[in-house]
Amino acid sequence: MITFENVGMRYGMGAEILRDISFSLDKGSFHFLTGPSGAGKTTLLKLMYLAHRPSRGLMHFFNKDMATLERRDLPRLRRRIGVVFQDFRLFDHLSAFDNVALPLLIKGAKKSDIASHVEELLSWVDLEERMHARPATLSGGEKQRVAIARAVINKPDLLVADEPTGNVDPSMSRKLMHLFIELNKIGTTIVVATHDDELVKSIGAPILKLSKGELEQVPGSRELTDPAPSRSEIYTSDLPKPTDMKAMS
Amino acid sequence: MFRTKIAFLPTTKQSDTLLPWVIAVMLFLSTLSLVLAITLGNGLNKWSQGLTTSLSVQVINADSDMRTQDTTQALKMLRATPGIEYADIVADAEVLEMLSPWLGELPTENALPVPTLIEIKLISPDSVNISALKQRLKTISSDIRLDDHQAWIVQIFKLASTIRWLLTAVVFMIILSTISIVIFGCRAGLATHKESIEIMHMLGAEDDIIAKSFDQRYMLHGLKGGAIGTSIAAIVIYMISNLIENLDTGLIGALLPQSSNFWWLLILPVFTAMITMLTARFTTKRALLKLM
Repeated sequence: MITFENVGMRYGMGAEILRDISFSLDKGSFHFLTGPSGAGKTTLLKLMYLAHRPSRGLMHFFNKDMATLERRDLPRLRRRIGVVFQDFRLFDHLSAFDNVALPLLIKGAKKSDIASHVEELLSWVDLEERMHARPATLSGGEKQRVAIARAVINKPDLLVADEPTGNVDPSMSRKLMHLFIELNKIGTTIVVATHDDELVKSIGAPILKLSKGELEQVPGSRELTDPAPSRSEIYTSDLPKPTDMKAMS
Repeated sequence: MFRTKIAFLPTTKQSDTLLPWVIAVMLFLSTLSLVLAITLGNGLNKWSQGLTTSLSVQVINADSDMRTQDTTQALKMLRATPGIEYADIVADAEVLEMLSPWLGELPTENALPVPTLIEIKLISPDSVNISALKQRLKTISSDIRLDDHQAWIVQIFKLASTIRWLLTAVVFMIILSTISIVIFGCRAGLATHKESIEIMHMLGAEDDIIAKSFDQRYMLHGLKGGAIGTSIAAIVIYMISNLIENLDTGLIGALLPQSSNFWWLLILPVFTAMITMLTARFTTKRALLKLM
């Protein structure tokens, strides 16, 4: 679904931040992106959510070659990618509802459809009571759930999350990871950048490990897309089951 | 619950809150310049209309009898000329009164050989061939001169034309300054909202959606500034009209702005809104093209 072949990235005339990055993400796969600060994680994520073009190498997104893609075709492609930031990047003057509705408004969806979808999704992330609250009045975990709802409302094929658990407590961190696993189960490809080794170990997904701009791929310790066993294993850990989400809020 | 427009730009804490007032000042100045240019043009046309149908004939023979004889013949010829509404001798007393600023008060009965003046009124500016008339008067006497005021009118029109061009240039400079201010304001706005724009791009927004938010905002600034500036200018024009109404004589009277002629002032705020909107759209789209 997404392939990077010998991708290199540098800003201006600076040193190369990413070197010869090659990997592919299959539909419905779940990957962690790890590496120390300055390893190039954010740059790689920016390439993944089409904020930059690479300095060299080939990138294919949903069978489209980025080298030949016209600028006017980018928005349509970006709508297939959801992004969650560590600092949420919500619009402070808009309510949680309006923030989540933005991608649908951009897509030109009908108002009635937007209302029902947004309400359903905010309910899924357990924020139906905080629908009209502005980000300034939300807690870190609530903001992150609004950001996740905004990222997934268009039912993206790829969800990229940059340190989504970086600004929340461990309990909320587990809740958020559970949301990602739920999304992954319905076929969304997930890439989560994190520093949290414990989290990575507990999920057991394959790892894209960046070090000094070079990529090493580490296979997962268990198959997330496997049915019952692996999921039940996750649920028997201290991660919440979907039905527990409301109770835990 | 929704706004139809995608309101990703906050409405408060903007860097461009002064822009409507700057536009208002620009509109005030350009409205005054425009009104002055138009009034000057219309007024001079109206005033010259009166002058171009007025001619005067001077009979300058120093010999009183000869002057009287020339005057009688000239008057007869003029009154017989088609296209002349009337031709009459200006009384000596009136001629002396006209000369009094230069010669002082003179008695009507004096030895000074004052030229005889014949005042002519044409039916229309082109009802008579002036050159042919001059020639025919010359055949009566070489001491008869026809003055059609052309030399003076040409000078006045040259001056008026220069002033009109100058005022038009001022209006264009003001429009260009307004466009520059909007461009700077828009660039500042783009820098302020850089992160919001990035998020919108990331969410799949096309440049048009983003540019629309900016151009709508600047259109409102233009409309607001235009309405304020034009309104103040209209009040000032009205006050000046009232003040100079008391001087309703000759050129000044002709140059008096007529409030009924200035209905087009209502268009100016809309025109300003269009200019600011298009400028903002162009600036935003150019800037967005530099982003991926």
